[in-house]
Amino acid sequence: MHHVVVESWSRRASPLHARDARAKLGALLVFLIAVSTTAPESQTAFALYSALLLMAILFARLPITALLRRALLVLPFSATFGLITWLGGNPMRAVSLGEKSFLSGLAALLLVATTPLAELMRGLESLRVPRSLLLVIEFVYRYLFVISEQAQHMRLAARSRGSSFRASAGALGVLFTRSWERADGIYYAMLARGFNGRFPSFTAGRFVIADAAFLIVASGAAIAVRVVM
Amino acid sequence: MHIPDGFLSTPVWGAFDVLAIPSFGILARRARRDTDDRGIPLMGVMGAFIFAAQMINFPVGPGTSGHLVGGTLLAITLGPAPAAIVMTAILAIQALVFQDGGILALGANVFNMAIVGVLAGYAPYRLLKNSSGIFIGGTVSVLVSGCFAVAELMISGVPMPAKVLWLTLAFFVVNAVVEGAITVGAVRAIGRLNPAWVPSAKPGGRLLAAVASIAIVLAVAGFLIASTHPDGIEILARAQTPKWLHAWFPDYQVHGISSPWLRRSVAGLAGLILIYAVCMAAGRWVRQRSA
Repeated sequence: MHHVVVESWSRRASPLHARDARAKLGALLVFLIAVSTTAPESQTAFALYSALLLMAILFARLPITALLRRALLVLPFSATFGLITWLGGNPMRAVSLGEKSFLSGLAALLLVATTPLAELMRGLESLRVPRSLLLVIEFVYRYLFVISEQAQHMRLAARSRGSSFRASAGALGVLFTRSWERADGIYYAMLARGFNGRFPSFTAGRFVIADAAFLIVASGAAIAVRVVM
Repeated sequence: MHIPDGFLSTPVWGAFDVLAIPSFGILARRARRDTDDRGIPLMGVMGAFIFAAQMINFPVGPGTSGHLVGGTLLAITLGPAPAAIVMTAILAIQALVFQDGGILALGANVFNMAIVGVLAGYAPYRLLKNSSGIFIGGTVSVLVSGCFAVAELMISGVPMPAKVLWLTLAFFVVNAVVEGAITVGAVRAIGRLNPAWVPSAKPGGRLLAAVASIAIVLAVAGFLIASTHPDGIEILARAQTPKWLHAWFPDYQVHGISSPWLRRSVAGLAGLILIYAVCMAAGRWVRQRSA
């Protein structure tokens, strides 16, 4: 399945992979805000933002075409509303909507492609994001692939019996029940391994000078493009 | 309708991020109170289930199919507060890993789908406690989320001619009815498989659910009407010329606060925050009365 690719990208080694998750998160937010507030007409700014991202991809030693193709996932939405804007008589704005959403999607993808999810969660926890949410995110992500595979098998089985609304509802009911039972099983397995109702705290790594330098340089570049252009 | 980054104007995504954080905090506290320590693994696995459930297609009409969105099903099975947390986790993963929805727009998406969508889906079920409640819940949930998303895009200045708007709303209605039907079908199937299973209907009184339903309907109607009649709002915007706003968004002073979409979005958001405050106050009042 295609999301496994991001997982394997995030485990590679490169100068960008080595940076602390908080530094990358901070730089991402600054970049996104810069892109979001850029005027639709300033095409030079968008070109420079793209250049910044390409440079970051090179630093991260990631396959450029594969990354760009994945970022195209934003297109269905952008294309629809871009088209509406275009037909509404504002082609410049339509083009900029597409550019903004693609650049933002690519930037977010770059973060998860250079940071394993567990590390990202650690960074977010030290930035005071509620732990319960982070734990749920980790559980969802961990069981996503397991249960998706189950769902694919069930879809195949349902199709080979001929599809009907009732059959699909039945499949959904079975998937729900199995998932609920799986959750129970996981809980008992946790108890058996000494779970006492407390989850171990994520401990964030050290924020070294290189991280600070990256944060300053990357956000500085984005801000510079935003202000100058 | 996962809004990507780049579509919402700065005041809109900013305000929704600000609005979503305390709302989520309240729901997270409530979820902690309502669930025991098996809650976290259960919420996580059910979140993965909702993800996977979108692969199961439901044939509706010739050649088309729909799939579960899931907010209402989660609210009925886990309770509204845990459901909101699970939906938030799903939206976060979709934004980060699947480029489905933006990071800056996460607050707006969480507000539309995980908070208002889940609560709007739960309230009718809580009131009626039967299949029609579930059906109405599923329908209202998708409809309300969609209306909020469109209204946010409109106050951000994405043009929406009347024809396109009606087409979009018609599309939402069809999707919403399908969601209602799928949710009913799924709950029935779950009931057949687990005869002992009882849907959760723990917290919150009926009166509270009624107030919540009315508040949500009013909020959506107000928000939609407000964003389709910019003239009316502009009068409102001029009436309360916000000095504090110049301090908040100094950037926009340079580009001219006279841009109509900015005034529109300010007024729309002021209205939304007002409605939100009234709902919260009404909810608190009802709770104190019933306590």
